[in-house]
Amino acid sequence: MHTTFETMGTVVSLEWAGKPARVTDVRRIFEAADRRFSLHRPDSELSRVADGSLELLDASSELREVYATALGWRGETGGAFTPHRPDGALDLNGIVKAWAMAEAGRALGDGDWCLNVGGDVLVSGQAETGAPWVVGIVDPADRAELLTAVPLVGARRAAATSGSAERGDHIWTRGREGAEFAQVTVVAADIVTADVLATAIVSGGAESLDDLTGRFDVDVLAVDRNGELRATPGMRELVAK
Amino acid sequence: MRRRAAVASVIASAGVLIAGFQVGAAVTAGRTTTSSGTGTGSSGSTAGTGSTGSTSSGSTGSTGSTGATGSSAKDGTFKGTTVQTPFGPMQVAAVISGGKIADVKVLQRTDQGGRSVQISNQADPMLRSEVLQAQSANVSTIGGATYTSEGYLQSLQSALDQAGFTG
Repeated sequence: MHTTFETMGTVVSLEWAGKPARVTDVRRIFEAADRRFSLHRPDSELSRVADGSLELLDASSELREVYATALGWRGETGGAFTPHRPDGALDLNGIVKAWAMAEAGRALGDGDWCLNVGGDVLVSGQAETGAPWVVGIVDPADRAELLTAVPLVGARRAAATSGSAERGDHIWTRGREGAEFAQVTVVAADIVTADVLATAIVSGGAESLDDLTGRFDVDVLAVDRNGELRATPGMRELVAK
Repeated sequence: MRRRAAVASVIASAGVLIAGFQVGAAVTAGRTTTSSGTGTGSSGSTAGTGSTGSTSSGSTGSTGSTGATGSSAKDGTFKGTTVQTPFGPMQVAAVISGGKIADVKVLQRTDQGGRSVQISNQADPMLRSEVLQAQSANVSTIGGATYTSEGYLQSLQSALDQAGFTG
């Protein structure tokens, strides 16, 4: 069974097997997150914080929790991930989607399901008996092709991919000439870690890649500007022939 | 647990929030200066080595001298000697290809607290021919960066959904 709906400027796709998934709860979680955090909605809580009409200390505990989580990740990544734009404006886009996915995952609970939100994936159980959920990774050089396929097995339940866009980088990179990596996929136990670190590695380049793979229990597949691949040993095993 | 810790840190960080903006700016500025060169290949990896700070200059120099042998350099991966720095040991390896430095890898280094860090999970180059060529029939779902909300990915995913594609 599967369902698809649009929210937060992207598409949520939920697939499941066996007992009915709590689709209504999942939809409610994403719609609530969009209402609260969208900067495209001038009346969202985050927009009001960003324009100064709402004090951060008067904001909801949910918003402050997400902001605190984002600040924590900024510290963990040495600033490669940050909830602020270069001009200092608050922007939680980099974490809200993954945060909502984690909430949705908790609502879905155990069972066999696969949640894909705009290319980031969180799964539980397996696709069918004996077969893991397998994430096809888009080739950034030819987006009509898949680069490879990554099975999500064991504790590795989440895969997030970040990229530097052809229409200008959507992640703020530190380098003078844009991102070293065209695309970075991080596989981890939880979707927030995977998503934040994928973003941080695109932002911080090879330096962040080496630093973060050494400190976090993750596997990474990075595609550089020339289409060359770099993979951690664990990722190498996952995608090996 | 994580959630509870985050909530607690909100309270703790209330006074830090405003300072956070400035700290963030400082961190960003500081890091920008260290990440010289974002190119691929040797310049990118050289930047990675250099970014470990001035203390690493000894080991960087040793790899540099390997490269300086020019066209007579043998191809292969060469480990540099372990250099003691005020912050701990530092060791790199140079990958030589066609007589040029193709890559520099940090094998051993120190973290910000001065502890030595062994790199056990480093992402190394991998040939495309080494990866499983994904057959779409084997794939449950599509992962990729979202570039625009109208992008290829959503289009593909929704097409798969409409087709009732279940992997």
